[in-house]
Amino acid sequence: MSDHPARSAPAGDCATVTVFVAVAPDVAFEVFTREVDLWWKQGPRYRIAGRRRGLLHFEPGVGGRLFESFETDSGSPTFEVGRITAWEPPARLEFEWRGVNFRPNEKTVVEVRFAASREGTLVTVQHRGWSTLPTDHPARHGLVGPAFSRMIGMWWGELMSSLREHVGRSS
Amino acid sequence: MNDLDRTLAALADPTRRGVVELLRKKPRRAGDLAAALAMSGPAMSRHLRVLRTTGLVEEDHQGDDARVRVYRLRQEPFGALRRWLDEVEAFWTRELQAFKDYAERTRGKARR
Repeated sequence: MSDHPARSAPAGDCATVTVFVAVAPDVAFEVFTREVDLWWKQGPRYRIAGRRRGLLHFEPGVGGRLFESFETDSGSPTFEVGRITAWEPPARLEFEWRGVNFRPNEKTVVEVRFAASREGTLVTVQHRGWSTLPTDHPARHGLVGPAFSRMIGMWWGELMSSLREHVGRSS
Repeated sequence: MNDLDRTLAALADPTRRGVVELLRKKPRRAGDLAAALAMSGPAMSRHLRVLRTTGLVEEDHQGDDARVRVYRLRQEPFGALRRWLDEVEAFWTRELQAFKDYAERTRGKARR
């Protein structure tokens, strides 16, 4: 198995990526949640804050929020990505994922599993629920490149293909 | 609605996702699908009609016997869905690589 994140065949509307990390599951869970701001990629393609000072934060426990806050000239707005729906250290984490253009009742779901493996942890992210969005949702039109970026609420879209090819080559 | 809309709408129903999962392995008769998913024949027929009109499955004869009809997956409609999921997976591939790099740099034991 490759040490790089690996994707699997599609099942329904579910996107799945797995990576091996050479730390124990409890450590992986801890780093994934409490230190998300330290590892989540920086910059305008990955964060709403863009180049401004910002913070990405999980509030521990079911019902807690995953949110991004950042500073502007007129204050410190907060964008809630979603609520935590499962908090089961060290094995499982599940939270809602809403893009910036989602209406209040619209959401997708991200489930993260941490499984002990080879003196480390297999971390699997499953992002599902795209089919539950209404058919008139902006996420359902255009769907690749910039339109996808607007949907997911990040600004990284236009570089995705070349980045993916890079990841594919290096694995 | 575009093709992806239709594909996602058809897959929004758990029974139809179940049918697609079963047909990923091999073509099956409508009766076998109904039995596998514990549904009545008429109810399964309605789901199969949705899947047929969206082009996700097609009806075919099995071997030489024209009386035996099986359903099989069509690959084309899954292309748009695959491209969409590719974008989502590319996003998480980048983030998980960043997570791995950070976790191993700060907490990992000496690597081989």
